[in-house]
Formats: sequence, structure tokens, C-alpha cells
Amino acid sequence: MGKFVQLVVDGLSTGSVYAALALAIVLVHQATGLINFAQGGMAVLSAYVVWSLTEQGVPLIVAILLAIVFSIVLGAVVERWLMRRFERGDPDTAVVVTIGLLTLITGFAGWLWTYNNQQFPSLFSLDTVSFLGVSVSQRSIGTTVVIVVAMVLLQLLFVGTKLGLALRAVAINPQSAAFSGLPVGRLLMVGWGLAAALGAVAAVLVAPQLTLTPGMLDNALVYALAAVILGGLTSPIGVVLAAWMIGILENLAAVYVPFIGFDLKVAVPFILIFVVLLVRPQGLFGRKNVVRV
Amino acid sequence: MASAPSNRASTSSSSLSSLRQRPWVRWAAPLLLVVVLAVLPLVMSEFVNETLARIGVFAVAVLGLNVVMGYAGQVSLGQIFFLGVGAYVTAYGVTNEWNIVLVFVLACLVPAVAGLVVALAAARLGGLAIAMVTIALPIVGVPLAKRLSEYTGGSQGLSARFAEAPEGSGLFDDQWQLYIVLVIGGTVFLLTRFLVRGKYGRAFAIVKGNENVASSMGISPYRYKVLAFTIASLIGGVSGFLYMVVIQYTSPETMSFGHSIELLAAMVIGGAASIVGSLLGGAFYVLVPQLTNQVDASLTTLLQGVILLVVLFVLPGGLASLPRALTRGRRRSGAERGAAASTTSPSSTLGSGTSAEEPETERQGHA
Repeated sequence: MGKFVQLVVDGLSTGSVYAALALAIVLVHQATGLINFAQGGMAVLSAYVVWSLTEQGVPLIVAILLAIVFSIVLGAVVERWLMRRFERGDPDTAVVVTIGLLTLITGFAGWLWTYNNQQFPSLFSLDTVSFLGVSVSQRSIGTTVVIVVAMVLLQLLFVGTKLGLALRAVAINPQSAAFSGLPVGRLLMVGWGLAAALGAVAAVLVAPQLTLTPGMLDNALVYALAAVILGGLTSPIGVVLAAWMIGILENLAAVYVPFIGFDLKVAVPFILIFVVLLVRPQGLFGRKNVVRV
Repeated sequence: MASAPSNRASTSSSSLSSLRQRPWVRWAAPLLLVVVLAVLPLVMSEFVNETLARIGVFAVAVLGLNVVMGYAGQVSLGQIFFLGVGAYVTAYGVTNEWNIVLVFVLACLVPAVAGLVVALAAARLGGLAIAMVTIALPIVGVPLAKRLSEYTGGSQGLSARFAEAPEGSGLFDDQWQLYIVLVIGGTVFLLTRFLVRGKYGRAFAIVKGNENVASSMGISPYRYKVLAFTIASLIGGVSGFLYMVVIQYTSPETMSFGHSIELLAAMVIGGAASIVGSLLGGAFYVLVPQLTNQVDASLTTLLQGVILLVVLFVLPGGLASLPRALTRGRRRSGAERGAAASTTSPSSTLGSGTSAEEPETERQGHA
């Protein structure tokens, strides 16, 4: 029983990392209608910024805040100077551009910081706390809490502020938003920046566990995309729930299903997708897309 | 006035096409190509032959990717997985001393069936979801290959030597291998050319262009997406067989995520929806790492990313569209000179690159 709870809590924490990445992907998709395959790569770049700052003796928490600022700028720059040219064109081309960006970032990080694994300092201690007779690691709880707080802040920004209202307007209908005088281009940059910041938080939290490499989040990206498919591209809450479900299920399957084990648990979300696709092609929480010809 | 230079350009291109239509040219040109390809392996050095054979292997893999992505417009990030499956099936069959023809057939069929199953589920999702699902294939494929170590040899991989030159032919191994690649690869290229030029190719193009139009014309986008994906997997299997002929060794690393992305980059850089582009893509896949490894191996990925992005910006049609882009550029500059001479001619109709300068407020609605 204790082991089961431990697995669920750990699954919730990895699920939160996937959820943050998935939410970033949904954020970008709602604003610009494309899937950013470089979302994980950009996050890894921010993690490398934190790492090199701490190597210089900067305190971890300051380095993280600086890296979040860096990632907002990075997201905005990528939107303005790289993606804008392809946003109105063929979405397939835009996807290839993000894949090119992923290759570029991976190559850049590998060239500058080598492909070797780097030890990344952890925000939370590895000690466990006992709670009702069950011991769970502080890192798992901390990761989950931080990401949930980040999501709540983001939600408050979207619902409670004027900037959030403008961002939502651009996401729903860019053309009408432009007609009512909103600076659509600048708002898209803000959207990309926020998405990148969310990714950076996820990367910083998961880096101590995975150790830092240029391809650190490739697997997490796959999980996040699976969560996006399962939750439906139109439903942020659905995506977060799907990511948690994936995190918990893969942890349980790794331990309780002998064939899957730890090496094959990445297949779990895709078995899930296969089943869901046969029953609900629009995703668990998404709405069916109706198009007028 | 302005039409004079473009007239000249069109007459020169029409004389070229009339040359191409003459019967003896239509027969002689392919014949010449075949003769050159038949002689080439005999006169080249071993290193050149091996490089050419590798290019052939990956050109076939890129061609498969081109069928699903270039022609049918479905982004696939999993093509390398089917190459890997084909290579593993070949290696397993050869080590168990099955008939080589049976091995070849299985190396085509097993990936095709795997592709069919994946496509049946993935194509249900519209748009970019196929890309999001197929990205999982290499990521799941590598640990799966390690896990099934009874069949795949685990992390150590499998090696199989079965493509030695037959006794009495007087050929070296590298020449014999290049001949196998040329014959099988050439056949695949020819068949694919017929496929994309015919009824199916036109159906793919409509599905790529607009799925709603396709279904209103009685062309089921779902069925054609599945078909394109299955054919791509089958061609991937063929390239896996050729991979074992040339490289003679496969491991889980063969189908890693990085290789899958490199393959996609090679296809876009070579030229999407182009047969020649697939050849150029294969050459890019093999030659660029060879060149950058001589400078600095850690730069390879960075350079591939840079080249891919530059090509997308400057030459979206890939290297295969370079001649066309050059003639268009020449014609346009000619027209601009003409426009300077006579103010009445609107040169803007020729400019296709004006969309980038449009004001930001004119965005298309995505929602």
C-alpha cells in the first residue's frame, strides 16, 4: 500500500512536468495554430542557462528567475524572427520549422556544453516525509506544488487581467482582435514567451532527476504530445488531467506489469492513445471539429 | 516591352521540352543513365562505391518519407523506425539461414503491416496529430529493440554478412553491393514515380491540398492517408534490407530519434514531393556528417539545424527546386528591367515573395 501511494505521488510529479510542457504546447497552438516540437528543446536551453549560472556561483533560485526571464525573451524572439514568417502558411511547413529549431538548439547545446550528462542542483531535498504512515519524497511533492502554482498563476493571468483578455482574444480570432485595435503580433510574442517560461520551470524541476543533456526532454516531449492528443488540443484542463493520468499510469505499469518495466513505460501513453482513438477520436475532453466547406 | 524577356525564356524552355519529347531522346536518355550506372561501380574506387551505396540506401528511405510527407502531406517523424524494422527482419532471417527472397519479402511486409496498424489509429486524428503520434515510434522503438534481445541481440545488435560477391563473377564485394542497391533502389524509385504520377498520386495531392475538397470529390482522406503511410513503411522496409546489404550491422541506435529527425531534414532539404529531391536528400544525409566529422563532429547537429532552417527560409521547395527558382529569378529580374523601360507593365504579378511584407494586422484566423 505504501509503495502504491509512493508510486502515485511520484507519478503525479512526473505527470506535472509533462503537464507543464503540454500546456505550453496548447498555449502556442491556441495562439498560432501550430505544434511547437521545439518546446522541450527551448526548455532545455533555459536549464543550461541555470546550470552555467550556478557554475559561476550564482544562487540557484536567482539563476532560475534569470533563466525564466531569458526563456520569455527566447520565446518572443523565436516567434518574431522565426515563426511569424511561417504562421500563415502551410502548417506542415511550420512544424518542420520547429523541428529544425529543435535540431538547431540540440546541436547548439551539444556544441557549447557537450553531450555529456551534467549534474543539476536540486531545488528540493531528496529526503522523504512520512504522512499517515506513507513516506513520499519531498522532491515529488515540491515539483507538483510548484507546477500547480505556476498553472494557477497563468490561469489568473488569463482570466483576471487585461493582458490575459487580449491574449484570449487573439487566440480565439486573430483577425477580429486586430480589427479591434489589439497589437496581435506583440501579443503572440507574449504568448510564446509565457509558454517558454512554463517549459523552463518544468525543465529546471526535472533536470536533477534526469541529469542535464541536450536531449533531456525528448522523452518528456513525447509524453506531453501524448497528453495533448488525449486531452484534446482545445482543452487546457483536459491536457493537464491527461498528463497526470499518464504520469501515474506509466509509473504503476512499470512496476506492476512485468513486460513493460522501466525501459518500455514510454509505450504506455501510446497504448492508451490507441484505445482512446478507437472510442473517442476527438480526445477525452476535446470537442469535435466541424468545418464548413 | 516587358513580355519580351519572358518570351525568350519560355521559348528556350519550350525548345528544351520539345527536345525532351523527341522519341529517340526519350529512349536514349534513360538508356544512357542505365549504362552509366552499370559501368560506374567497375571504375570507381572502393570508398566511392561504398559512399554511393550508402546514399542509395538512404535515398530509398527518404523516398518513402516523401510519399507520405511530400506527396500526401502528412508529417511523419517515424520513418527511421521502419528502416530499423526492415533491417532487423533481414538480419534475423539471414542468421537463421532463410531463403534470401523470403527474407526480402518479409523485410518489406513486416514494416508495411506495422505501418498499416499505426496509420489506422493515427490517421483518425486530423492534421498534425500524425506527427505527434509518429514521433513515438523511434522513442518506443529503441527500448523495444533492446528488450526483444532474443530476436534483436539487445544493445549489441545483429550483424549479418550475406551480400558477398558470388564466386566467378569477378566482382569485389563493394561493387556487388552497389549493384544490388542500384537494382532494388532503382526499381523502387521507378515504381514510386509511376505511383505518384498516376491516379494515386493525384489523390494524394488533393488530400494534401484540402481534405474537405477531397472528401467532397469522393476521395476518402482517411483511406489515402493510411495508404500513403503504409507505402512509406513498405519502402522504409526495403531501405532497411538495403541497409543490411551495405552496412551489414544493425543495433537499436539505427532507429534513434536523432536519425529520424535527420531523415526528415534530409527530405525537406532535398525537396519535398520530388523524386530527384529524394536522391539529393539521401546524398545530404550521408555526405554532410562525413564532411562535418572531418571538421568537428560536435558541430554536425548544429549545422544540420542551420541548413534546414536556411533552406526553409530561402528555398522552401528544397534543392530540387533550385533550377526552377533560378530561372524564375532570372525571368523576374528580366521583367523588372523591362518594367523600368516601360512604366505600364505591372511587375508585381511576378513577385511571389510579397506576402512577408504585408502589414501585421492582416492575419488569417486559425480558430
